Amino acid sequence: MHNPYIPIPVDVTKIVTEVDTNDIKTFRLSFVNKEDEENFKYIPGQFAELSIFGKGESPIGIASSPTQKGYIEFTVQKAGVVTSALHDLEEGARMGVRGPLGNSWPIDYLEGKNIVIVGGGFAFTTLRSMINYMIHDDHRSRFGNITVVYGAREPGLLIYKDELAAWEKRDDIDMYVTVDKGDETWTGREGFVPTVCKEVGPGSENAVTIICGPPIMIRFTLPVFFELGFSKENIYTSLEMRMKCGIGKCGRCNVGEKYVCKDGPVFSLAELDQLTPEY
Amino acid sequence: MLKKIGLEKLNQFVSALMEKETLFAPVKGDAGVNFQEIKDASDVTLDFYNTLQSPKCVFFPQTDDMVRYSLKKGTTEIEEVLLDPEPRIVLGVRPCDVKSFEIMDKLFTGGGIVDPYWENRRKNTTIIGYAFDTVDPTDFYGAFDIHAADTAGSDVFLVKGEKNFLLKVITEKGEKLLGSVDVLEDASAEDEEYFEERLKKGPELKTRTLSLKGVAGKLKDMFGSPYWEKAAAPCLNCGVCTFVCPTCHCFDIQDETLFGEGTRKRIWDSCMFTDFTLEASGHNPRTQKSQRLRQRVNHKFSYYVTNFGVTSCVGCGRCTRSCPVNIDILTVVEEAVESV
Repeated sequence: MHNPYIPIPVDVTKIVTEVDTNDIKTFRLSFVNKEDEENFKYIPGQFAELSIFGKGESPIGIASSPTQKGYIEFTVQKAGVVTSALHDLEEGARMGVRGPLGNSWPIDYLEGKNIVIVGGGFAFTTLRSMINYMIHDDHRSRFGNITVVYGAREPGLLIYKDELAAWEKRDDIDMYVTVDKGDETWTGREGFVPTVCKEVGPGSENAVTIICGPPIMIRFTLPVFFELGFSKENIYTSLEMRMKCGIGKCGRCNVGEKYVCKDGPVFSLAELDQLTPEY
Repeated sequence: MLKKIGLEKLNQFVSALMEKETLFAPVKGDAGVNFQEIKDASDVTLDFYNTLQSPKCVFFPQTDDMVRYSLKKGTTEIEEVLLDPEPRIVLGVRPCDVKSFEIMDKLFTGGGIVDPYWENRRKNTTIIGYAFDTVDPTDFYGAFDIHAADTAGSDVFLVKGEKNFLLKVITEKGEKLLGSVDVLEDASAEDEEYFEERLKKGPELKTRTLSLKGVAGKLKDMFGSPYWEKAAAPCLNCGVCTFVCPTCHCFDIQDETLFGEGTRKRIWDSCMFTDFTLEASGHNPRTQKSQRLRQRVNHKFSYYVTNFGVTSCVGCGRCTRSCPVNIDILTVVEEAVESV
């Protein structure tokens, strides 16, 4: 009988420290068994439980794209017991993964539409998965224009810097990377994410926006998109909640009758409006 | 098939069951009667109203080992704890508690990802239900159309008569078990009559009741009501209501390590505790006890109804009997619905 509580063994094959503050790292995990790799079929927006025996498990969004074969990646901020233990690991360490879990970005619905991706700070991980998926040769033609607005407080807090630079060079994706305040070496854009969104002013016709970021950013960004004519059905985001099982059994991540782990984490704004007003 | 055994011969019957399979049955302890795995036949008692804790522990123990691990330098050896393979019997389950298993099946095995621990034990367990012969004033199982001698869900159903225990086979599983227990005698026509009479009289034992019509929706409508603060004011957040409840299923997953050797286990948790939803960032969506009481009541009487089509309560009255400050879930639901 398949046991969904038993983690799949993986090896940490690469660790990248993403930010100047050293508390956000990207972990590349490779499957120990080829069979597990083939069975781990995921879609951008899903998450998994990262498992370190002796410490516990932590639910983290998958930051790699399914178009990247042979490994999966997670970008993790050091916060609690498990993520601290994870940050102490070195390349070559063995750990576990349970997943993929949850729903995903609504790929079928997004097909044929212009996509606006808005990210703030560290909440850019499953958005990165989505971007890499969309710009892959096999998928680029399935989507219309791709606009990305990504901001952080300062240049040293932007994650995936190499990829941001690579995407900037492409002509099939419009990149707007911004920081609240630059430093002496920063030559790019300055300004808050909502302001930049307003300046960029992506059209709402046949377009969907996906927003992830700190609550304050989301609060000020949403009115910009409403003004641009985006309906609540065409604005998506991803929720976070304390989780344990990840499969809708342990009973802690509910908002009303919906469980973030299995009915989410991705919801449209229209769906969020229907949720019990718990938070 | 109806069988019987003298009241004084309970021991022999229990021993016969123990010879066949692992047996769980009510045992009297210091605080009251509870279900336990039986090692000594004389421990078993059938003289009780209902157990302090529910029999959910037979399928969903308070702690359940999932993985054993050994942290070695540079590597971790892990070993999956195998699912209990042996068949088991649970003796003396009251009708409302039998019903609770079916409600929990919907979550653990019905649709979505199957929980192997629950499913495996459910499949391997024969349930001997046990008719109530009195009513406790806290019970309200009548609200869920369960009656004192309801055989639904039991494999064998037990009625305590004046001189004998009468046992009726309900399912094939029950027949397989009872057919091979030779300490039992065949019941007489008179016994048959008595047994049928007891089943018929089940609904006459009246519990408190509650109209469930529209409750799920009304609870949603009054979600933001100040009523919850009033209802939760005396609550101590001790969580006993969730621990004695036959349908509370929330759990935690914890690693317990000592000198590099450890076990990953799942452990009952409780939505009454403030750290139930505490996140690593320090954010906690349910800091107020009114939010937590509302969660417990709504989970049972609204969310579960929406998700699985059934109320996650059987009216066993345990939470009311155990609550140190006399919070009664039936009264709370009634008052909440009236406050709309």
